[in-house]
Amino acid sequence: MRRSRRRGDDAQAVLETALVIPILLFLVCNFVAVMVQVTVQEQLNSATALAAQSRFQAPENAVDASGTRCCGVHGVTLVTSGLPTGCRYAAETFYGTMRTDTGLLQWHTVTLCTSGGDSGNGGHPPAQPVAYAGSPANADVSCDIGSIKAGGVVVPGYVDRTLNPPSGLDVVTCSATASLDFANTPLAWGVFWTPTVHAQAEALPPPFRQ
Amino acid sequence: MGGEFEGVVRPRRMPRSRGGQALVEFAVVLPLFLFCLIGALDAGLWAVQTSAETSAVEQAAMIASSAGSSPLSDVAPDARAVTAAISARLRSALFGTAIESWCATDASGACGPDTTQRCPSTPAEVQAADGPRVVVVCVSEADPPVCATPPPGQAAPFPPGCGDSPMITVHVIGFVASLVPPGFGPGAGGFELPTDISATTHTLRFAP
Repeated sequence: MRRSRRRGDDAQAVLETALVIPILLFLVCNFVAVMVQVTVQEQLNSATALAAQSRFQAPENAVDASGTRCCGVHGVTLVTSGLPTGCRYAAETFYGTMRTDTGLLQWHTVTLCTSGGDSGNGGHPPAQPVAYAGSPANADVSCDIGSIKAGGVVVPGYVDRTLNPPSGLDVVTCSATASLDFANTPLAWGVFWTPTVHAQAEALPPPFRQ
Repeated sequence: MGGEFEGVVRPRRMPRSRGGQALVEFAVVLPLFLFCLIGALDAGLWAVQTSAETSAVEQAAMIASSAGSSPLSDVAPDARAVTAAISARLRSALFGTAIESWCATDASGACGPDTTQRCPSTPAEVQAADGPRVVVVCVSEADPPVCATPPPGQAAPFPPGCGDSPMITVHVIGFVASLVPPGFGPGAGGFELPTDISATTHTLRFAP
């Protein structure tokens, strides 16, 4: 009688342990996954912010010559011939900064270079930027920049009417989106969700360019 | 009088075998619990430190991109100046970790040009050079190719990108301190957390 009771206690302890350990590991895995997501989000914020600002490091009216390419990071080569040089500068900055944790990231591809767009207000309906002619559509980052059409007509970049309302300010905006894939990591054991990180940054022209 | 206490149940002592079982269970669970606890705390610490490093590196890249020795300079800014600019921000997050500049000095005592200062590629390289729990700030510059006369049928500038402004890269790389003190865990330095954050941007240069 006593022996069977003890055996029951042992079985209970084993059962408790078998229940608690997976729950504990599940919690730790998800905690680490959230920490990774936070750090990747920080990096993405940083990369897009630097990308938007670097557009202004390029000469304002410069256009990339034939045969210009950029950004041979994780197998992506973007042909930027005929696009504003500032667009390539932004892409090079983005790819140069976003180097860590790239094995975890599945990028949502976008058009590299766009123009126009309006955040909108009462008198101006919001408008989406349009793809710049000839811009590659397989980029990991998209930057909306001002451009110059034939004949010297300046097409503004994104008009943000929350800045200096109601007329707004022309700003450069860059955005990027990626999903975090833990499938090839030990965290896959306990992480059953695929977080998505997204960053958008605006940059104003420096005073000497305004 | 004595009969009044006959019905009282005295607490029985735990059999010695069950006490031993509890001890074994405790011995099994405690390391696992501590492993999970320290792992979770270290993950949080790593996230905080990485976050601070990321924002510091972004700031450093912006400083370095506009801090050339002259508007026409093709020499990377002094890594020590960039380190000094961001060290206050790093020190508040990287407790227990030393922050140093990574540069090869030239004859004048300043950090040498990019040809002589190669940034470390792995945290282990920093540890081998400067010891455990050290992160270094390294600034390097990549210059564009020199422009040449374009071949027939090819428009200037040639080669493509030859008129670009140089690219500055700021690295913060090394091992940061974790909650496990030195002397414990694998390796001579105890548990440390590797870090390798960088930011790249074009420099602000004016046409000659």
